[in-house]
Amino acid sequence: MGRTKAALNYLDQESISDLDHATAPVAQLNGVSHLALASTTTVLDVGGVSKTFQLNGKPLNVLSDFSLQVVKGEFISIVGSSGCGKSTLLRLIAGLDTVYDGSIAWLSSTVVGPSLDRGLIFQEHRLFPWLTVRENVALALESSGLTPDEVKTRVTHQIELVGLSGFANAYPHQISGGMSQRVAIARALVLKPRLLLLDEPFGALDALTRLKMQQELQRLWETEGTTSILVTHDVEEAVFLGDRVVVMEANPGRIKRVVEVDLPRPRHRTSAEFQRIKDDVLSDFIEIS
Amino acid sequence: MTRDWKRFLPFLISPLLLLVVWWWATAAGWYSDDVLVSPAAVLATLQELVASGELALHLKTSFLRLLIGFGTGAVTGVLFGIWMAISPRVEAFVLPTFQGLRQVPTIALIPILILLLGVDESFKVIIVVKAAFLTVALAAYDATKGVSRNYFEVARIYHLPKTTLYRKLIIPAITPPVFTGLRIAFSRSWTILVAAELLAADSGIGQMMQLGREMFRLDIVMVGVVITGLVGFSIDKIFKWAEIRLIPWQPAVKA
Repeated sequence: MGRTKAALNYLDQESISDLDHATAPVAQLNGVSHLALASTTTVLDVGGVSKTFQLNGKPLNVLSDFSLQVVKGEFISIVGSSGCGKSTLLRLIAGLDTVYDGSIAWLSSTVVGPSLDRGLIFQEHRLFPWLTVRENVALALESSGLTPDEVKTRVTHQIELVGLSGFANAYPHQISGGMSQRVAIARALVLKPRLLLLDEPFGALDALTRLKMQQELQRLWETEGTTSILVTHDVEEAVFLGDRVVVMEANPGRIKRVVEVDLPRPRHRTSAEFQRIKDDVLSDFIEIS
Repeated sequence: MTRDWKRFLPFLISPLLLLVVWWWATAAGWYSDDVLVSPAAVLATLQELVASGELALHLKTSFLRLLIGFGTGAVTGVLFGIWMAISPRVEAFVLPTFQGLRQVPTIALIPILILLLGVDESFKVIIVVKAAFLTVALAAYDATKGVSRNYFEVARIYHLPKTTLYRKLIIPAITPPVFTGLRIAFSRSWTILVAAELLAADSGIGQMMQLGREMFRLDIVMVGVVITGLVGFSIDKIFKWAEIRLIPWQPAVKA
């Protein structure tokens, strides 16, 4: 039963992506309508979450009364300087850390540990150096219950989607940092997670690669429509990708404000409206004359 | 072909130099020929020992002890090292003893082992087992402890089953450091075996040297020295060669 469903989902996904690739305007339309459809159900409900670490015997409040509702298909960017607790928040939502005050509910049930329908992409790619690109991506499907044939098809398709078909049998040390991060993205997406958590995924890449990866992530998000939360300290990245930008401040980590980014996709960094929103968010961190 | 040859040329310099110094020291006549044997005399004795089959017999005995001792010590060492690293209880119980024992040179245990086990085969094998086991177990323990937490988080995120956790994370991750441990353990095992044979044995490369010393045949002793060195060197090279081939995912390491 579960297998059939997964296979069907996969077929469905494939036909959508075929459409998207067919013509650019269709992709654009799809992105917009997808947004309009989305604003109905809350899938993730973070309510009054606080987290305290013990540092040299003294309590350190890294997250204080953080609340956020995320609706289906939404792309949330969380931006803040280091130490504002944004990565901690992501680890809590992922279920890697389950000690906190407040409540985190994913699809109406409390998060008690990692789940295959919540994917997490780390700042470092964390590929296993002894596995090839293909084997690394397939690792995510170890517990999916898919047959080896289904695994093979899905992995091949996912590697193709991130544009690495020619490198399926390469080891991580043989490809660049940007490519490795694309493999990490493929590894997370191959499970078709319903929530994608991205913890500064491009933070370790050079500026040009980062721009390219942001474009690519936007394209993937439009194709797959996965609800996503991106944590970053790059304001432009946050505005470029997010439907909403959550601005955080540190000591203790809390929400300063939430900025709506009501711009059609694909977005243009050079447009006046984009610049205005970017400057607006930036003004929370530095003075802009 | 010629480039290969050129690459190896520098490696020949130091052994040749050593040989020249040795020859020069004997030719200068500071010591009697019986005490400091010349390279030529050693070569002649070597030929003699090879021709009579005596050397092959001694080497065979030594290799057999090494193989059994090292094999047993290495296999149990790897398993025990991993066990110690993943079970906090085992770790708490035995780690301090382990780290204490590591500081005791195996050679210091020879007198006790002789008293307990006699000078039979078992003594020589056991001492090799001990040398290999401790070194390998601690290498496997450190390696397993050193597997990055980051990888285990990935394993948690993707709900990796236990078998996959071992097959695709722990075992590949610890293979390179464990291999280094095996290599060091092998060289220690070889050294300790020759030392044990020097002290108590009726055959083996060490016993051959001991007998040579007793008969004041220092040429035989020197043959033993040279052979011991060559064997250790060759085995070390074989390990390195195997390491490069068994671990294809590492950026190429030069031997």
